[in-house]
Amino acid sequence: MSSRWTWRLLAFPGIAWLSVFFLMAFYVVIAVAFGNQNTLSEPVAFWNPLDWNVGYMLETLKNIANGGPFFTVLVRTFVFVTLALIMALAIGYPVAYFAARHAGRWKGLVLLLLILPFWINYLMRMLAWINLLSPDGLATRFLSSIGIERLFIAVDLLATEGGWLEGQSFTVIMALTYGYLPFLILPLYAFLDRIDQRHIEAARDLGASPFSAFRRVTLPLSRPGILAGLVLISLPMFGDYYTPDLVSQSTKTNLIGNQIDQLTRQGSSKVVGACLTLILAVLLLGLMFYYLRATRTADDRGDDR
Amino acid sequence: MAHPKDRSGISRRNLLKGAAGGALGIGAIGVLAGCENTTTAIGACEGDGTSNLVVPKPTGPGGLPLPRPDNAVTWAIVPDNEPIEDNVPDEEGPLAIYNYADYLDPALVKAFQKLTGRKVEIATYNSADEAFAKLSTGAVGFDLVMGLSSSNLVGLIAQQLIQPLNHSYLKNFEPNIWPELQDPFYDRGSRYTVPYVVWSDGIGWRNDKIKTDIDAMKVPWDIFWESAPYKGKVAVLDDQRDALSMPIQRDAMREGRRPDVNTEDEAVVKQAGVDLGQLTDIANVKVAITDYQTLPEGKTWLHQSWSGDLLGAAFYYMPKGVPASVLSYWGPEKNGVVQNDFFCVGRTAKNPALAHRFINFMLDAKVAYDNMVNFVGYTPPQVSITADSLITSGLIPRSLTKAVIRPEQFAPNQQLMQLTVAGQRYWDAAWSKFKAG
Repeated sequence: MSSRWTWRLLAFPGIAWLSVFFLMAFYVVIAVAFGNQNTLSEPVAFWNPLDWNVGYMLETLKNIANGGPFFTVLVRTFVFVTLALIMALAIGYPVAYFAARHAGRWKGLVLLLLILPFWINYLMRMLAWINLLSPDGLATRFLSSIGIERLFIAVDLLATEGGWLEGQSFTVIMALTYGYLPFLILPLYAFLDRIDQRHIEAARDLGASPFSAFRRVTLPLSRPGILAGLVLISLPMFGDYYTPDLVSQSTKTNLIGNQIDQLTRQGSSKVVGACLTLILAVLLLGLMFYYLRATRTADDRGDDR
Repeated sequence: MAHPKDRSGISRRNLLKGAAGGALGIGAIGVLAGCENTTTAIGACEGDGTSNLVVPKPTGPGGLPLPRPDNAVTWAIVPDNEPIEDNVPDEEGPLAIYNYADYLDPALVKAFQKLTGRKVEIATYNSADEAFAKLSTGAVGFDLVMGLSSSNLVGLIAQQLIQPLNHSYLKNFEPNIWPELQDPFYDRGSRYTVPYVVWSDGIGWRNDKIKTDIDAMKVPWDIFWESAPYKGKVAVLDDQRDALSMPIQRDAMREGRRPDVNTEDEAVVKQAGVDLGQLTDIANVKVAITDYQTLPEGKTWLHQSWSGDLLGAAFYYMPKGVPASVLSYWGPEKNGVVQNDFFCVGRTAKNPALAHRFINFMLDAKVAYDNMVNFVGYTPPQVSITADSLITSGLIPRSLTKAVIRPEQFAPNQQLMQLTVAGQRYWDAAWSKFKAG
């Protein structure tokens, strides 16, 4: 009995930490969103749920429902994040697959190279891109020399030669993809590495082609990994505001994070900023539930087998 | 490598933030409420029983008047918050200064320490909002607060966060500071504040890339609406009041009238947002406060700018091989925005005499000059510093003459002041809409 409690006590630091730095902080956001503001335009939090003032929340929701500015940035955020996720998966899956299945004795090295970007702060990596993508930057010259630049201009993803940093949506999507890619590859790698080789061998023995074995065995088995990776990187992407700030600064690439950042820091709309934060959190919560359900059913299927 | 301030994305001159701070001491607000002896204008407070034959003036927290050039305010000195006595010797220190990051030459701080034998400790903030939040908790007693501007003053007074100054310590004030700023409308008699630096809202551009002579245009602001050829290299200030007041200034300049950059007319503010929004299509406009860096590097060619940023750019940010003469600046002679920030002494200062001594030190002509050219870039309102003197000494090119503010620019231009809560919301809405693209 007592030993069981000892083990349970191990959860205490985590619970205490989360209570203070997540739950309490989150409650402050809620109390501000359903609060009011004083004559200094400063938010006044209403701590008692019975006192809550829903006026600001309704106003914010109305703004979204009527296709106001908040709707514009919400839609843009979803589009940008979705495209970034697709790109990240298209780049990340083959890399993780290679590392897990074909790197052989180089596995350690490949893994090290994958983790390497973690060593450098996200902001630092983005700042590096500012130099790389400036009109005379290395990346700009390379992209120009291999014809990518002309291709992008032709399909209207880039406005002018060397203009990668001139408020281009694609640059922001690319930067988001790049910035969070390692966080997708690692969980994917872990899942792919754990797949029992014998499953694939069995598929091959039963006559499946390599592609068919991949499609019918490896891919379904790695699905939880894909989902975990995508959820892991989509959450910070949805809240991201510094990436567009760094590589674009154009109003056309502002995301929901930028709006929240601006509302909470400029002017008298901190309460609206809190409302928008809550709305985003609820939307993300929906995504999280989908993830939990999807992985649970996957686990259940695993148990059935 | 970017400047640390950019990364916070917060402008040094966040003009809007007037009212920030955590929980507001309601008791404190009451102290100066009411109109007696607090304002020169009759009827400055709405609904206080004064005549309905005068146009009501905007009021802020606790019914305090919001200062305007036509509504100058003398802030009362109240019994529980009086200035220090004359001839108090320097306290032991250390002198606690609260200032914007990178907004004071460290060499001068060292010089002051050597001069007085007292230590100086500097804490920094990145936005007026942040400063207010910290000051109003009252947890930290700063001796000296630097860099806040007149748009923040009502909040400071309402919460009684600063104490009145004793001018007997400020011997350099009268002889050195422009007469135009010795008795400002936002603080008659400079009872609570003394100016630190001045700037204008204008246009910074690369004259090697943009061939239009912006200086010679009848309405220079029009260049932004003609900037399609420079698409992607055009930016406006990432500050709602500065940016949104730009089309308001443009319209007024076209008609040769004085704009109201502190307007609370919903239609005017909304239209300003729509006009500014046109720049998104015309030039895919950026919203940034990094002009001092992107103009020298050629990443932007046309930028709505604070004058001091262009001087700073010329002083320290030119890449190798690019002469400062490629930078140009235009600022308004009239019908635009020219303003200043200030020094003030904290209400709970432990070293108020030393704080006064430091202010006086900073008001010294030589010290103010060094602070400008060696570090800050923004012009102090010192009688001895003129554009000619800077050009002759080779510090700035002639094309930046207008970045050096002259005292006579103050009266015909305006300051961006704190708005009423209701008026502020129109600006917030227009800004949100513009920023959404």
